[in-house]
Amino acid sequence: MVGPQYDLVGNPLGAVRATFERAAAAESGGHEPVAAFRGKDWGVGEVFRSFLFEQGGLDMIPVLDESNLGLIKPNTLVRFRGMVQDILGNEFYVGAFKDGSTWRTNKFSDSSPFSMPHPCDSHLWERHLFHCVPVPGQNHWTRESSPGPDLRKMSSCLTSEQREKRKRDAENDAMDVSENGSEETSSSSKKAKDDGVQISNSSLQMSMNEEHVPEMNGVDHHIPGSSFSCLVKVYDMPESQVKLNDVSEFIGVYTFDPELAAPSDNSDDIMFDLMEDVTAQLPPSKVPRLHCLVWRNLSAHDFLPRAPAVEPSPILLKSIRQSLLSHLTLILGKDELAAQCLLLHLLSRLRNKVNVVTVGRLSLNFTGFNRESVSIFGNQLNNLFQRLLPYSQTIPLSIEYLNTATLQPRKDNRSGRLVTGVLQLPQGTHLTFDETLLQSGSLTSKGVENTMLLKNLMESQKVEYDFEFYKLEMPTDVQLLTLSEGKSNILPSDLVVPFRPSSVPAVNVSSEELESWRWYLTTVRSLPQSTETETYQMIQDEMVSAMREDRSLGCSELSRWLTMAQITAASFGEKSLSMEHWQMVKELERLRKERLQ
Amino acid sequence: MCARRALCRRRTPPRPNPPAPMSTDDVPLSSDAPDDDDDDTPMTDGVSGDGSAGAAAGATPVYVWGTNISVQDVNAAVLRFIRHFRDPRDAARRGVMDEGKYMRAVHRILELEEGGGSLDVDAHDVFDHDPDLYGKMVRYPLEVLAIFDIVLMDLVARIEPLFEKHIVTRIYNLKSSVCLRNLNPSDIEKMVSIKGMIIRCSSVIPELKEAVFRCLVCGFYSEPIMVDRGRVTEPHICLKEQCKATNSMTLVHNRCRFADKQIIKLQETPDEIPEGGTPHTVSVLMHDKLVDAGKPGDRVEITGIYRAMSIRVGPTQRTVKSIFKTYIDCLHIKKTDKSRLHVEDSMDTDNPNANKTTEDDFLRDKVEKLKELSKLPDIYDRLTRSLAPNIWELDDVKRGLLCQLFGGNPLRLPSGASFRGDINILLVGDPGTSKSQLLQYMHKLSPRGIYTSGRGSSAVGLTAYVTKDPETGETVLESGALVLSDKGVCCIDEFDKMSDNARSMLHEVMEQQTVSIAKAGIIASLNARTSVLACANPTESRYNPRLSVIDNIHLAPTLLSRFDLIYLILDKADEQTDRRLAKHIVSLHFENPNIEEVEVLDLPTLVAYISYARKHIQPQLSDEAAEELTRGYVEMRKRGNSPGSRKKVITATARQIESLIRLSEALARMRFSEVVEVRDVVEAFRLLEVAMQQSATDHATGTIDMDLIMTGISASERQRRDNLVAATRNLVMEKMQLGGPSMRMIEFLEELRKQSSMEIHLHDLRSALGTLMTEGAVVIHGDSFKRV
Repeated sequence: MVGPQYDLVGNPLGAVRATFERAAAAESGGHEPVAAFRGKDWGVGEVFRSFLFEQGGLDMIPVLDESNLGLIKPNTLVRFRGMVQDILGNEFYVGAFKDGSTWRTNKFSDSSPFSMPHPCDSHLWERHLFHCVPVPGQNHWTRESSPGPDLRKMSSCLTSEQREKRKRDAENDAMDVSENGSEETSSSSKKAKDDGVQISNSSLQMSMNEEHVPEMNGVDHHIPGSSFSCLVKVYDMPESQVKLNDVSEFIGVYTFDPELAAPSDNSDDIMFDLMEDVTAQLPPSKVPRLHCLVWRNLSAHDFLPRAPAVEPSPILLKSIRQSLLSHLTLILGKDELAAQCLLLHLLSRLRNKVNVVTVGRLSLNFTGFNRESVSIFGNQLNNLFQRLLPYSQTIPLSIEYLNTATLQPRKDNRSGRLVTGVLQLPQGTHLTFDETLLQSGSLTSKGVENTMLLKNLMESQKVEYDFEFYKLEMPTDVQLLTLSEGKSNILPSDLVVPFRPSSVPAVNVSSEELESWRWYLTTVRSLPQSTETETYQMIQDEMVSAMREDRSLGCSELSRWLTMAQITAASFGEKSLSMEHWQMVKELERLRKERLQ
Repeated sequence: MCARRALCRRRTPPRPNPPAPMSTDDVPLSSDAPDDDDDDTPMTDGVSGDGSAGAAAGATPVYVWGTNISVQDVNAAVLRFIRHFRDPRDAARRGVMDEGKYMRAVHRILELEEGGGSLDVDAHDVFDHDPDLYGKMVRYPLEVLAIFDIVLMDLVARIEPLFEKHIVTRIYNLKSSVCLRNLNPSDIEKMVSIKGMIIRCSSVIPELKEAVFRCLVCGFYSEPIMVDRGRVTEPHICLKEQCKATNSMTLVHNRCRFADKQIIKLQETPDEIPEGGTPHTVSVLMHDKLVDAGKPGDRVEITGIYRAMSIRVGPTQRTVKSIFKTYIDCLHIKKTDKSRLHVEDSMDTDNPNANKTTEDDFLRDKVEKLKELSKLPDIYDRLTRSLAPNIWELDDVKRGLLCQLFGGNPLRLPSGASFRGDINILLVGDPGTSKSQLLQYMHKLSPRGIYTSGRGSSAVGLTAYVTKDPETGETVLESGALVLSDKGVCCIDEFDKMSDNARSMLHEVMEQQTVSIAKAGIIASLNARTSVLACANPTESRYNPRLSVIDNIHLAPTLLSRFDLIYLILDKADEQTDRRLAKHIVSLHFENPNIEEVEVLDLPTLVAYISYARKHIQPQLSDEAAEELTRGYVEMRKRGNSPGSRKKVITATARQIESLIRLSEALARMRFSEVVEVRDVVEAFRLLEVAMQQSATDHATGTIDMDLIMTGISASERQRRDNLVAATRNLVMEKMQLGGPSMRMIEFLEELRKQSSMEIHLHDLRSALGTLMTEGAVVIHGDSFKRV
């Protein structure tokens, strides 16, 4: 039985090194005692995983963000949630070296606490570097879902003396597995919890702390106003498991080495300009380093409060659907048709991609807006999206915006980094375009490029990234809503709905309602769908007869109907599509067509 | 000395090596004496200083430090290889008595000083000759290459003692190449071969090789001092006996010897990047002759040694960070064609066949695969199926579109006249017949495709403009499409809604392939070598079979005749088709297992296939094919003269024969055939027929009628009109008196109908009267007319 006999939060490296030395000692009989550990875990990952997920350690770990960057002590365990903005390649480091007769490791740290004798026996290992940023367009509610313990407790309860002591303790403990250690950790975690409660109660004290702490921590450790990002170093990961634009949670060791931060004024700089690491442009003083121990990809589910799991039964979903729909109707000025379409739009997701055909997306275009109505209804909608969806953004589409905005992510080969653009978005982002601002005018070449990008995004859910010598298409899954005066031909949406409000919205929502709607949207979107063969046949017959009635129906319309029918079925919590839903969609379409005339 | 120098040249790292010799984790360094373990680490110290001594055979075996590589053995193996390797292909040609491939190369270098003093060695040759040597070379490149150099020096010294330059061995064409992203610690200090694209080059850096010092006191010049591992040992004392001044030596720059050095960044090519990844990069160090061998944007294959060096924390600090920088010491760089699989059409390359000889093997595999594909008997059908596989039916339309993608041969006569090779296609059809999807698909496929809607294209403009419909508030993007799609396919949707002004510009584009723009008093003629793929809806939104194509499309006949193929896509309200469409849509949405998988080429392969064919295949008409073409053309023209119809109908025109040639050339290209065969011509005729039967069927007679396309009036229609005019004239002569009272047209029509069996409409009568008016027989006033 191996308990967490180390202070995993305060001194994770102690645990790493102790387990390594033990594992190396166990292997020492072999011909190559340490070589076996290359690209592998010697057991430390297990220790952390069980601590985090089985013993509830996750809640004790502070979440690294811009506000507490200066507060977190180096070499402690932190959490970071962000989007992989750039993949910086691999880095080789001395993974293990022989110090006298013991093998030491540098894994999960920037440098070794023990001086490396040289020449010495050493092994080169590799790790992957990811540049991560806070998720663009991330809405505030998602951050509340998993607050870490308040940081102040870390800085207050762990004075440097204690830390030293704890480190030594951990090392001693490493030698003999005792229950002593686990007791200590649990007591400290208890203490931590108490502190957390205490401090979150007094928000005043918090703000005072915030003012003082930066001074304590030195000058440029945290530069206000700079956009925050994090350099994550991931170990032992098969290539391409973390993809660009993935939203992930990384749990690992936060390091800050002032020695490394010092700018290296190399005399032969010109020569090595090109050899220069990309990381050189991400000074540790601005971009914290995180040596990742455990990581996982985040989906929308992970942002929901960890409520007792509710079985998504149709009855429950149906009632939430009703309340959400009536709320949408209110917000849209009692336009029920628009509300229905909006609901379907919010529930759509990219399900399949066959060549150029994308299946499952449902971009929506509300027409009949002008500047005044946009300021009323548009703002209401945005507020709602901000409170319902994990990531949402509004783009004011004007000539000036199109001509000047950087939508396309671009690789800067000079610095070796991917310069982000507005369209570098995580999967599942919601974008609202306000086209009422668009007036007649000339587009520059950049403007044309931007419109092409947007159009491409609409039509095939792909964004071209510019790699200077070639373009690379990145698949995306983005929900797109356009508010415009007439039908937008620049952003051709799947569904065009003339908007006919009859009242001005004035609504209040309770937080319980919001929570249930979030849960509803997330759940329905991930609901698996299956369809019986009979339904296939029925739908085919339906389509044939629909085509007979209206010869202008094409592949795209019918395909959209089917998409809408499937989403409708899902919105009722049904796992499979039935004729009833098909008829509902047909009715919806009929109403919509009436309006178009 | 010489050999030593060669060793140093290779051995000199760009920066002081870490004192600790590097080791990879696979091969941990043992500080013991050389042991027998084959996997033991190569030492950066490499061949001991007596390497040259080792070359002089006979002494006790000298091992490369830390390995079991015997210097003598390798030396002998290398010598054997250079002396005796014979290219098997050469042997067949020249017989055995000739000297080896590399001996010849050495001689050439000595005589002509060609190749910049370097000997290119094909690693495949090394492997064929001595697999063991190859293995050693890849695993311990530093040591083995040093021996290569020594052997070459000795060899050269023996042949030509006065030859002073160093001959460098450049290895290329390794048996296996590594993907850039798969380089890992175990590759360090190994010879690797990677492919990629140069994205940046540094400026050329002069690197000190030999330093010369001068005493400030007595002016004594020191002997040139070699730079050893990036460091110069500066003499502290003047070496002159009489002087012996301390710390007086100063570096004399212009007597030092420098070598060129450059650092380039190599990035993965797009095809190696997995989905959701970004390209990896690696730094490559180039020396001497390799400097400036590649420019940013070039695709290259680099053979080199993968190396790592530690990062010092500060220039003065001895502590070394635990992180290593990696780079590749380049041995050989091979440029592969920049973007071979993308179309650079033959129109502007003077000699399109010239590049065929320089077959590079960067894409050899790919090309081989394409060639294999082209040999399939059903490649034509397979290509057809692969084109827009999600669009059903319309196979003949797809065939036509394929022809457009492959294109014919452009021809430029010495007289300056040029014939376009691009095939223009017009699709006219009912709404909902997936014309737009076809266009979209073509746009994706074509190398420089532009997709535009007729409503928003100003065709020639170079700028783009956003306009807003004042009534509906709909926004439209207007863009200049044609110039942007030079050498591509310009897809124009809603062709019928294009403004007349813009459409008239197409005349020039579609035949002369240029666009003239007048701006600020300058008339510029821009190239617009583009194939036009247009689609239009019939005027009455649905096709009216009673009207001619002209009436249905409402396009100028002159423009219409410039389309090689005009397809009428009619929605035939066929339940079978509807059902298949429905099934297709359903299968897209549910991953239905019982949908049979049709074997199709994926999009990238299709693009590569087309690009390759466009670039490399220039089919010529065979004699038989030319004969068939003539025969078929004569036949087509004769058809209107068949005994059945008295009327002489113009069936085909010279434009058609050009179209036919283009089509058959495109069809030959699809098979990668350099010769247009009879079957291509037959198929071209069939395609034209299929399209023509639909587009040029005279609905009155049912025969093909090119006149219909040319003038908008079919021969039978013209005859009917002539008849009508005659009948009208007769009636006017009969009923009305010269200068008499005017008569209402309606009444006259009644009269005419009584006399004639023909079905006559008012507008027919009006046009007939119009003809009479030009003859001066009648005068028309509004609804009535009178004889004059």
